[in-house]
Amino acid sequence: MPIDNSYIYKMLPVDNRKIAPVALAVSLALAVGTASAADMPPGDIADLSLEQLENIVITSVSRQEERLANAAASIFIISASDIRRSGVRSIPEALRLAPNLQVSRVDARNYAITPRGFNSPFENKLLVMIDGRSVYSPLFSGVFWDAQDVVMEDIERIEVISGPGATIWGVNAVNGVINVITRSSKDTQDGLATISGGKNDRDGTVRYGGKLGGAGHYRAYARTVEVDDTYTAGGVNTQTGFRRRQAGFRADWDLAQGGLTVSGDAYQGALGQAGTKDIKISGANLLSRWTRKLSDESDLRLQLILDHTERNQPNAFIERLDTIELEAQHGARLGDSHNIAWGAGYRFSRDQITNTQSGFLPAHKDLHWANIFAQDEISLRDDLRLTLGMKVEHNTYTGAEYLPGVRLGWSLDPTQLLWANVARTVRAPSRIDRDFYAPVVPVMIGGVPRYIVGGGPDFQSEVANVAELGYRIQPSPQVSFSATAYYAQYDRLRTLEPNTANLPNTGLQEFRNLGDGHVRGIEMWGRWQPVDSWRLNAGFVVQSVRSGLKPGSKDATGSNGLATNDPPRHWLLRSSHDLNAQTQFDWTLRYTGALPNPHVPAYYELDMQWMWKPTPNVDVALIGQNLLHASHPEFGALPGRSMFERSAQLKLTWRF
Amino acid sequence: MTTATLSHNKLAAPAMPGWLVLVFAVLLAGFGLSCLAGGAQPALPGVPTLERSVKAAYLSKFLGYVDFAETAASAPLNVGVLAADDIAAELTRITAGRPVNGRPVQVRRLRDGEPLDGLEMVFIGADASRPVQALRNAAEKSVLSVTEMDNGLQQGAVINFRLVDDRVRFEVSLPAAEKGRLRLSSRLLSVAYHIQKDKP
Repeated sequence: MPIDNSYIYKMLPVDNRKIAPVALAVSLALAVGTASAADMPPGDIADLSLEQLENIVITSVSRQEERLANAAASIFIISASDIRRSGVRSIPEALRLAPNLQVSRVDARNYAITPRGFNSPFENKLLVMIDGRSVYSPLFSGVFWDAQDVVMEDIERIEVISGPGATIWGVNAVNGVINVITRSSKDTQDGLATISGGKNDRDGTVRYGGKLGGAGHYRAYARTVEVDDTYTAGGVNTQTGFRRRQAGFRADWDLAQGGLTVSGDAYQGALGQAGTKDIKISGANLLSRWTRKLSDESDLRLQLILDHTERNQPNAFIERLDTIELEAQHGARLGDSHNIAWGAGYRFSRDQITNTQSGFLPAHKDLHWANIFAQDEISLRDDLRLTLGMKVEHNTYTGAEYLPGVRLGWSLDPTQLLWANVARTVRAPSRIDRDFYAPVVPVMIGGVPRYIVGGGPDFQSEVANVAELGYRIQPSPQVSFSATAYYAQYDRLRTLEPNTANLPNTGLQEFRNLGDGHVRGIEMWGRWQPVDSWRLNAGFVVQSVRSGLKPGSKDATGSNGLATNDPPRHWLLRSSHDLNAQTQFDWTLRYTGALPNPHVPAYYELDMQWMWKPTPNVDVALIGQNLLHASHPEFGALPGRSMFERSAQLKLTWRF
Repeated sequence: MTTATLSHNKLAAPAMPGWLVLVFAVLLAGFGLSCLAGGAQPALPGVPTLERSVKAAYLSKFLGYVDFAETAASAPLNVGVLAADDIAAELTRITAGRPVNGRPVQVRRLRDGEPLDGLEMVFIGADASRPVQALRNAAEKSVLSVTEMDNGLQQGAVINFRLVDDRVRFEVSLPAAEKGRLRLSSRLLSVAYHIQKDKP
């Protein structure tokens, strides 16, 4: 296939090395494989200079992503380029790019996000980490999405694992694990300023990176976000808009055989809440991680995390939470067939609540978690790997929990993997399951002091037993496909039961574990890159989520642990297209099936981004969100639920 | 009791409006055609990905910017490739009939643990099972080592590839080059996106 040389050299900026010769790279990459050495055209990739090589944009999936995707688990990687090209400006919006997640926006600042069902704004079966730091709240085992932020441009990738991850990550990783991984400061050695604004939200970021002595690098950033209130279908303001400011840094040092990373963030925000003053949030965290490759056969990782958060929620509670977490992990290869990882961790949180009418008793509580885990990946044959794992995690409420898992991966050939997994996972009680009281001072009922809701003195861990079967194929670098079928049985789900024993200082109702359920489904996604300048991604999930009450339950609301408001299916189709070396055009079409209770109609929506690089250091992006309808709801009951409007944004990015 | 089950959920999703289907079909077709019209050919099986091609091209360039003082001026330059057959194939193709500084280039695929005797340069792929051993071996034998791992330089590599902003960039360790008695040209260093000067 001959190459049109004039075309190539027109595209080749000889003295402006900053302009990426995308189109050149594309035609080269596709042509080189077929050109024979004898009649090598002068436009071969081998004739490019070092400077030209370093400006070729790699649009295909990186090797690292490919290797991660070869794990015997249902894992989807959201890449930095997906994030940049889609125009998303927050972590929850970025998570919409993962086909194995169901993301529903609840109002201006709240989201309901889950893989594999049980969605609610208080979703409690998903572990979310930012650079390995867990951001779940021990108050309710969920995530306050309105307090989490990262500079989008500094994200290297987001790993989204649907399915149990407890054997490695512990309790809470019941339905899935999300890890937002930021880039090494070595890779962010320039200045960056972004500003974006539109009808409903505005944000701005400044980041600068530099060197620290011989082998160290750093970056520091500051960021501010403002999101307007949303409105209901009837035009009522939900008063859930917010403002948040955040600043932080990351430093990385190259050490012999390893590295040291220290990072920290501090934030402050005011979140709207209907009928009260704003919720005030603030917090700071510090992470340090030390890694060392002791030899080809063994490596070591130590991690220390300090975290402080405050949340002053008028008419509800004020929480001050201080956490320290220490983790050590060692990997070792024994002989030719055993790959062992083992480790231990300890986490301590001091939770201090100031209650109003209802709240948490005792108001101050110390929480301890300690764990040890071991995993052995055994190569049974060249093409067959068996992974046995076990984690034992001790928590303040229920003591030791056992989290075993078995995985089998069979490489049918170098392009195909068939895998299976069975695991037991638990969700250990959080404070809301055991310590929630309403009101916090007992009232006299029939001459006996009682609470209306009196915590959950007997509440035990919720349990899930999960089986998965997966298949993955990559017949060529341009095509990949993954499918996973799963079945999970849930037991001891949370219910709110009447307490008929008329004892003093107990609740009329208590949390207990009289719910159960089962979930089955298939999730699949694929990628097709027909030409280097155009990529298509598609994902599809079909699922059945059922939960119910066990005999003996008198739960009156069914809304305490059983609120499974999940669509029967959701899918997305995403196109990433390089129109030319300076212009990229991306769109994502998504569909979410109807939610049963409270009912939310099914919807299609379309997001788009058109990005133009007038100079190598400047990006201008025009972003359109929810373009198909004037407005649509995603979660919650009428008449109070928020409607999300069609909107347009302009984003400017300047690198210096 | 309000258990939410999907069997209760008989609410059929509204069908995608016909005009919408049409719009997308047109968009898709338009994109596909515009790509072809833009000069790019459809992908062919067996073609290395762009990333592998670029790395192979870099490797062929590196040979020209390093002074391999210890070998005869007209002897072939021997390159070993470990755990990266796609790069080995692409590098073989690139260097065929393209001598570097008048010296022919010979590319050899290495097996795990194979000694590096007689090589000028070795590329250690990310899938190598014992990269540290290979790097130690390379340092002892004054072989220019190139890796593609997160801590490549810290493990002893002279040059390490990183993917930065969707581009293949490389970093260089001067202490490792010095240890292997390899002189790197200033031209090479001027393009490196990071140069490690002190021993970590």
